[in-house]
Amino acid sequence: MNYIDEEEYTESKFDIKVWVRIFKMMKPFRRHLILGVLSAVALAATDAIYPQINRYAIDNIAATGNLELLPYFIGGYVILMLVIGLNVYSFIIHAGQVQQKLSYTLRKQAFDKLHKLPFSYYDKTPVGWIMARMTSDSRNLSDILSWGMIDLSWGLLMMIFIIIFMFITNWQLALIVIISLPVLIVVSIYFRKKILHAYRKIRKENSKITGAYNEGITGAKTTKTLVLEEQNAQDFSRLTGSMKNHSIKAAIFSGLYFPTILLISSIATGAVMYYGGNQTAMGFIEIGVLYLFIAYIGSFFEPVMQLANILARFQQAQASAERLLSLIDKEPDIWDSEEVIEKYGNAIELKKENWEELIGDIEFKDVNFQYVEGEKVLSDFNLSVKAGEAIALVGHTGAGKSTIVNLICRFYEPTSGHILIDGRDYKDRSLGWLHANLGYVLQSPHLFSGSIYNNIKYGNQDATKEEIIRAAKLVEAHDFIVGFDKGYDTLVGEGGARLSVGQKQLISFARALIANPSILILDEATSSVDTKTEQSIQNAIDTLLKGRTSFIVAHRLSTITSADRILVLDKGEVIESGTHKELIDKRGKYYTLYTNQFIEEKNKQI
Amino acid sequence: MKRLKQLLKWMAGLKRWYLLTVVLIIILQYFRTLTPLFLTHIIDTVFGSEPSALPNFITYFFVGGDVSRQLLVIATVYVVYTFIRVSIIFVRRYINAYFTENVAFRMRNTLYNKLQNLSFTYHSHAETGDLIQRCTTDVETYRVFVGEQLIEIFRLVFLVVMTMYQMAQVNIKMMFVSVAITPVIFIIALIYFKFVKRIFTKVEEAEAKMTTSLQESVTGIRVVKAFAAEQYEIDQFDEKSQAYLKEDFKLLKLMALFWGGTDFIIFIQYAITLSFGIYLTSTGELTIGGFVAFLTFVGMIVWPMRQLGRIVGDFGKTTVALERIDGIMNQESEHLNDAEDEPEIKGRVEFKDVKFKFHDDTKHLLKGISFDIDSGETIAVIGRTGSGKSTLINLMVRLLDVTEGDILIDGKSIKDINKKYLRKHVGIIMQEPFLYSRTVFDNIGIMDKKATEEKVYRAASLASIHDDISAFERGYKTIVGERGVTLSGGQKQRVAIARMLLDDKPVLIFDDSLSAVDTETDIQIRRALNEYWKDTTVFIITHRITSAMGADKIIVLEDGVISEMGTHDDLLKSGGLYSNLWDIQTSLEGDMKNIVKGG
Repeated sequence: MNYIDEEEYTESKFDIKVWVRIFKMMKPFRRHLILGVLSAVALAATDAIYPQINRYAIDNIAATGNLELLPYFIGGYVILMLVIGLNVYSFIIHAGQVQQKLSYTLRKQAFDKLHKLPFSYYDKTPVGWIMARMTSDSRNLSDILSWGMIDLSWGLLMMIFIIIFMFITNWQLALIVIISLPVLIVVSIYFRKKILHAYRKIRKENSKITGAYNEGITGAKTTKTLVLEEQNAQDFSRLTGSMKNHSIKAAIFSGLYFPTILLISSIATGAVMYYGGNQTAMGFIEIGVLYLFIAYIGSFFEPVMQLANILARFQQAQASAERLLSLIDKEPDIWDSEEVIEKYGNAIELKKENWEELIGDIEFKDVNFQYVEGEKVLSDFNLSVKAGEAIALVGHTGAGKSTIVNLICRFYEPTSGHILIDGRDYKDRSLGWLHANLGYVLQSPHLFSGSIYNNIKYGNQDATKEEIIRAAKLVEAHDFIVGFDKGYDTLVGEGGARLSVGQKQLISFARALIANPSILILDEATSSVDTKTEQSIQNAIDTLLKGRTSFIVAHRLSTITSADRILVLDKGEVIESGTHKELIDKRGKYYTLYTNQFIEEKNKQI
Repeated sequence: MKRLKQLLKWMAGLKRWYLLTVVLIIILQYFRTLTPLFLTHIIDTVFGSEPSALPNFITYFFVGGDVSRQLLVIATVYVVYTFIRVSIIFVRRYINAYFTENVAFRMRNTLYNKLQNLSFTYHSHAETGDLIQRCTTDVETYRVFVGEQLIEIFRLVFLVVMTMYQMAQVNIKMMFVSVAITPVIFIIALIYFKFVKRIFTKVEEAEAKMTTSLQESVTGIRVVKAFAAEQYEIDQFDEKSQAYLKEDFKLLKLMALFWGGTDFIIFIQYAITLSFGIYLTSTGELTIGGFVAFLTFVGMIVWPMRQLGRIVGDFGKTTVALERIDGIMNQESEHLNDAEDEPEIKGRVEFKDVKFKFHDDTKHLLKGISFDIDSGETIAVIGRTGSGKSTLINLMVRLLDVTEGDILIDGKSIKDINKKYLRKHVGIIMQEPFLYSRTVFDNIGIMDKKATEEKVYRAASLASIHDDISAFERGYKTIVGERGVTLSGGQKQRVAIARMLLDDKPVLIFDDSLSAVDTETDIQIRRALNEYWKDTTVFIITHRITSAMGADKIIVLEDGVISEMGTHDDLLKSGGLYSNLWDIQTSLEGDMKNIVKGG
């Protein structure tokens, strides 16, 4: 329920099923994973082999002065150089591609699913939550399964190779070194956990500080007028102070980690110096072997530290995987039946050739609806609308206006009862069919970043330039559009930020007009615009409504006086119905609402 | 020089800690270069008869005698030496963290306080997102630079220098051979990281485009669905994902080439040094122990060189970050050179031909406003949006300062009164009040932290918000704001009134502060408050005639000038805008009839 808290890295138990699912997703590019792992194996081998080449050089060339063997040494090094250079290249290229392709796949699958999910999903899920799944979770997961996996195989194999080489070379010395290994691992895991924990705390503190800055800036005027500067400064300083202390604490842990590892390995080195040195002095082993073992100890701690790191991160990645899969696996509750998809296509693949024309008769038949179990919004609701009729919906927040609209759009489906379009239950035809014949103008128009042209075209991707300009002219948007330097190519900015509210509305009208829908939903704007724009908007609405079945969710009653029928809703029921004149004459609820608003509006006009 | 000053400014008073860190770094790098020499000592001095390569302060502890005993002592000294070394490493890291975190702590606090003290004008033009980024990301950039990157540079440079010194001690020719192609490594890394920064920007841009597309599609899902544009959206997103993938792949190829290529070059250096070493050993010019030491020494030069190039190539971010931080720091505080006078304030207010315009504007927002009001009286200001109402209020508490004319409180110009003192005595209840993200209780008691429960509850009741609060699941403990419950506009306004009730102020301004509650509640609250604030000078800025009509004096503001002034009755007689408005309201019934007839 509380998505924000869930954000914190939960550590779940290892769940094999999750990983199997993810690995299946990686099938199309497993080649990269395999090649990446192979490069890692090759690199692990060279890391274990090259001290051997040095050992050879010490014992067989340097100690004996036998320079004839020098070309072999150089040859060995050249091969080593090539193997390392090429494998580092291949390692990065392949691990990187696994990462890129996996995150691409995850994002694509999630995005596709997002567009199949019904509206109710978006009502319950904050945009921030979705964004976090698509960005940080997909990155986290793909990182660990590419770089992490391949690093893991490098680290593990390098340790294995080194252990094998040590035992082949001298098993007594090998035993001495091996003893330190479990200690290294235990210490590493201990510290990794502590460090991870400490940094999690710091991240939390950090987001609190960011929040405090935000508050300090957005609340600046209030702070000034209440003279809370000093008090705020004290509160803030407590936050930063706690951040400082936690950071220093975290630094102590990570500051102890490396030294501890170094100290443990120095004990192993000391043991090798003593024991191996004695063996060398007695002539049992060569000087090169002594060097070899000390070099191997040095190569040990990097993979150990890395392993601990990757294991710790795997736990986090599993949480990411679980959250992402929960999105990808989500079954849409509103989806067409098999037969319908067979004939009409689904919401994404449309089979337009089989679509019937939508005339626009709409009927609600004993419709019941609830968003939450037990809280009925509509009960046994009946309504019949003829094609071409303009219906205005009036009522307080929660009266059921938006619910009716949501049901007509099939953003939600009736809990029981039927909605008929042109005499047939709308579930018998596809979501795509309905939506392609539907126009929806929102209260606060949502534009997409891009040009004005593309935003209008959004209503109908097949529209020609002439049609787009014609639509803009019809809604009286053409004049202000050509007034811009770049005309129709003007970029509207993110969410249309570069346009005024009124301009955005007119563009969204043009967008709806170009879709030429049989059914039009108009969620009327509440925000105020200047009188000239207001007039344009009113004209545009009239143009839009012509010849279509339309539903207007009205906030300002003065704009709907010409509707064919006004429905006054209260608690999901139609309490009054009729034309503006009829309802005013009736002196009922509508009359009261209307007069109240009239006073308010006149007040604002002074 | 300016840059250096900029860089050091934040370290004031902490510099000796930084210096200590650097000193410890130098000692540590010297220690580190001794490590391979232990084996050299064993090979050359214990097994052979060469003089020890280790410095005296270490060989001092070594003993003679049989080899086994010598080895035992060397191994023990090695462990003790490592122990000392890691202890210094730890101390160094601790001091480093202490220093860096204190610098960051100071920066964060300084910036926060600076922001709080910047003028209202600054804040009304500022972009929140950008400011936050400066205070967080840019501070972090600096913190990482001082605490990690700069330290890393010291570490790498001294490691290379110390290693070269030790190499020279063992064999000077070998030293020269060992650094033969290391400059190349440094330069390649430097160029690469400078170049790759540009590619990085492109990748980030492509990624941002993808994220924007995602965000817009999700926030606009209603539109997407209503226009059956799902497939279009999916194609759009895929196109942007592919574009990002393409850019990212370019970067990946470069990365692979760089790391693979430099690894190759680094091993060339290894091969050169070691081949030459073998040759010198065979001629007897280099001991075997010396050769073994070089196996490690080479690595202590070549790898740091690459790393050094990386850090230096990555430079520049910090300068940009500091510039951006200074962009805030160089702004003038509104309390700079402020008056110190704190006269007693009773509440008589006088506007004397007040004019106001913004510096960068030519048009006056107020064009000579004069009126006065006695303490304890109520004055109402009515006017359209843009008539200058809010400017008038902002001038009263010196969020803005008058351009011409003067505002007097109890006969004293407010310019001569300390700003904070003035604001403590002239309260504003804003139309869109800001609530802090803490509990409702704390929000109401924000100006009086010691307020008792009864006091807070009583304030809430007076402001007609007590019932609303009690209806919340967690009552007065409900957290408001971003991380908690969102209050409606009307609820926020009433909380703001309650919060003002906990503090006695001689002058109070209601800036349309009940606009979001219905007329009935408005009247109810006002009635309760009139009683409570009967000795207070009250300004009511409103568009509701019902709120204004009871005032001792009503001002109608039009386009920056007072068009009418007087009591309700005066204004009705004068036949101006005010009486028009009144007519509209009283003759509503007649109007309605016309509308009905007209259809």
